[in-house]
Amino acid sequence: MQPDIFKRFYPVILVTLIVLISAVLLGLTDNATRGKIAEQEVAQVRGYLGEMFPNMTSLTREDDIYLVLEDDTTIGYGFVAVGSGYGGEISILVGLENKTTVKGIVIISQNETPGLGTRVAEEPFTSQFAGVNIDDVRLDGEIDAITGSTISSAAVVEAVRNTALEKVESLGE
Amino acid sequence: MRRFWKELLKGFVVTNPLFILVLGLCPALAVSTSVDNALGMTGGVIFVLLGSNIIISAIRKIVPNMVRIPIFIVIISTFVTVVTLVFQAYVPALYAALGIYLPLITVNCIILGRAEAFASKNTILNSIGDAIGMALGFGSALIIISLFREILGTGSISIFGTHLFTLPVLGEHPLAMLALPPGAFLVIGLLLALFRRLGVVRSE
Repeated sequence: MQPDIFKRFYPVILVTLIVLISAVLLGLTDNATRGKIAEQEVAQVRGYLGEMFPNMTSLTREDDIYLVLEDDTTIGYGFVAVGSGYGGEISILVGLENKTTVKGIVIISQNETPGLGTRVAEEPFTSQFAGVNIDDVRLDGEIDAITGSTISSAAVVEAVRNTALEKVESLGE
Repeated sequence: MRRFWKELLKGFVVTNPLFILVLGLCPALAVSTSVDNALGMTGGVIFVLLGSNIIISAIRKIVPNMVRIPIFIVIISTFVTVVTLVFQAYVPALYAALGIYLPLITVNCIILGRAEAFASKNTILNSIGDAIGMALGFGSALIIISLFREILGTGSISIFGTHLFTLPVLGEHPLAMLALPPGAFLVIGLLLALFRRLGVVRSE
């Protein structure tokens, strides 16, 4: 009777054991990399904002909005907007000059079609956003889409506009 | 020891996982758009294949037949998740470029295929050889495909940020379709035919 029961439960025990060991391994890896991953994101945002605002001396963070400071005055705002592109999520860093005007955008990550949708990350497209009123950030407004990449272009435009409006509202007065 | 080298070399031509065994086509189609991506993907596959082959070979004697597939999958997905996290933390540019195809290594048929067909029935040393051979074979196939697709499809080649060269005519009017999915099917299909015509096909 004894060996019989063991034989029946052995597979269960083995699978449980292996899953447990895997879970521990994953937990350890996550622990080890979590800090670095968070650092990467912040470092990246800092870098982009530093380029966008040459006079920036420091950066502070209020929830998910970065306040760009020159000494003690706020010279702009920064935040990450996420849009649904053709091939997945498009992450965009948006810089605001003030509560009504866009300073510029940088595409942080995208998975669009090479040569077509990926061109939203290029200068001719992104430079269109500089100095534009948030309300005018529309394809039938100030922004021209890229020929052959309507979905990618629209995704970026919508994400920038909607998130900007949302963040400005949460900043209040 | 001879067996080790034999297993290693066979992964390159005789039983190239992509062109002869025709495994791992899905990520191959998607990731071969540029040589950079192909190299990055190969790195991930080498690590996962080595890790999974070694572990599965090590525990092959204690794994009962009926639960072997779930156990293999747990082991493989653990390795892939570790690779994904490490890439995300230390090489974020490559992580962003590979996108969803990094976690998709989990269901890359090559990994599970070698675990089932080889690692679960052979010694650890030979399994290591098999893993390296298959991973490098997959990698070289990927690189060949992406060389075609990147040079003809975009007219130029850059490796890890360093721009290598731009072709004169194709630079301005590249065969863009080759950089897109239909082009992937075309290039891979033609190379597959070429490999079969020139290579030695021995079934395993």
